[in-house]
Amino acid sequence: MRYFLLSSLLGIVMLMAGCRSVYKGLQPVNGDVNCIRQFSPQFTSTLYSTQVDILKHHLSGLLFFKQMPDSSIRVVFANEMGFKFFDFEFDKQGNFTKHYLMAKMDKKAVVKTLQQDFALVLLRPDLRAAHTAADNRYRYTVVPTEKGNNYYITDTACSELVRIEKSSRRKPAVTVWMQHYNNGVPDTINIRHEHFKFNISLQKVEK
Amino acid sequence: MCKWLLILIGCVVSLQIQAQSGFKPVADMAPLKQQFAKAAQSTQSIQCDFVQEKNLSMLSDKIVSKGKFWFKKDNKVRMEYLQPSYYLLVINGKDIRIKDAQKENKVSGKNNKLFEQINKITVDCVRGTVLDNADFSTKAAENAQYYRLELTPVNKVMKTYFQTIVLLVDKQDYSVSKITMAESSGDDTTISFLHKQLNTNIPDAVFSAK
Repeated sequence: MRYFLLSSLLGIVMLMAGCRSVYKGLQPVNGDVNCIRQFSPQFTSTLYSTQVDILKHHLSGLLFFKQMPDSSIRVVFANEMGFKFFDFEFDKQGNFTKHYLMAKMDKKAVVKTLQQDFALVLLRPDLRAAHTAADNRYRYTVVPTEKGNNYYITDTACSELVRIEKSSRRKPAVTVWMQHYNNGVPDTINIRHEHFKFNISLQKVEK
Repeated sequence: MCKWLLILIGCVVSLQIQAQSGFKPVADMAPLKQQFAKAAQSTQSIQCDFVQEKNLSMLSDKIVSKGKFWFKKDNKVRMEYLQPSYYLLVINGKDIRIKDAQKENKVSGKNNKLFEQINKITVDCVRGTVLDNADFSTKAAENAQYYRLELTPVNKVMKTYFQTIVLLVDKQDYSVSKITMAESSGDDTTISFLHKQLNTNIPDAVFSAK
């Protein structure tokens, strides 16, 4: 009986802890939300060696970012043998166009997930409703979304991008790391989905 | 006088260019098939470099990859991409293995019918049996140096991926010099085979995915 009580109590405590927002400790601070714009990758014609792990499947290939003359960005993913998986466009206003998606992958949920993931990487958010917050380590630029917030997490001076989190009200659903910037372009990009196995990792290669 | 000379030179140059690049249709396929099969019979192995160009028409840009290619009779192929990133494809009979910078995978033919079909085309091309592939209808043309074989898919699934596959076959040794796979989107992938060495001794170990 005593064990039952103890384990029930422990269960309730864990449940409550699970419901608590991981962002609860954030305090609003004054700061320029636009400072995160410096981390928006300056893709001109940039190629990445790419590994995708989705559930039990593993894909590899080359992901190509190209800035077009009208400032839109095209994102094309093909396998090493030239077999194209998708071709997406993000225009300057944030509009998305699917130019091509392999028939087998062409499902609404897949398109939405990839669109949201690459929108995080391109880092061109609408900052009109954004505010800044901080905890004892980092500075957070908080951009409200339909289902929660996007958090652009930097060091306190906003000189280094630590990570980006696309979150529900309580916890991150997708985390993006962009590291080792060289001429405005990150050498490595990692995208991790927290609720199911879907990871994309990019390593810049010379074209 | 000078004007006429210029016109004459212009005509000669343009005729020469036409003769080099202009392909005339091959009316009778039977002798070509025979020659192709005969050459394939005597080709025990091929070893060469390759350059692959993925042309992205809408982006006016291309992705260039380079690597090494090995073929050994009857159905062993190793295609090793070295630039811009590492990728290895090994076909040893029905066994297909791929290895990228992170992982090695065995490709199951059942789950990857398309992959198997694409590989079959590659092997068919180098073996010289592509003209007998029932998944395509074939048109042939020739100039002094090459045969140009244009394969159009008849298979519904293949049609969604390829508009045509064009092979450039060297008349000297009936080996494939260039494969161009055109997609319906307007993009295409060209693989050029360079520095070909025929019938050299290639150890079987080359066709294990290592």
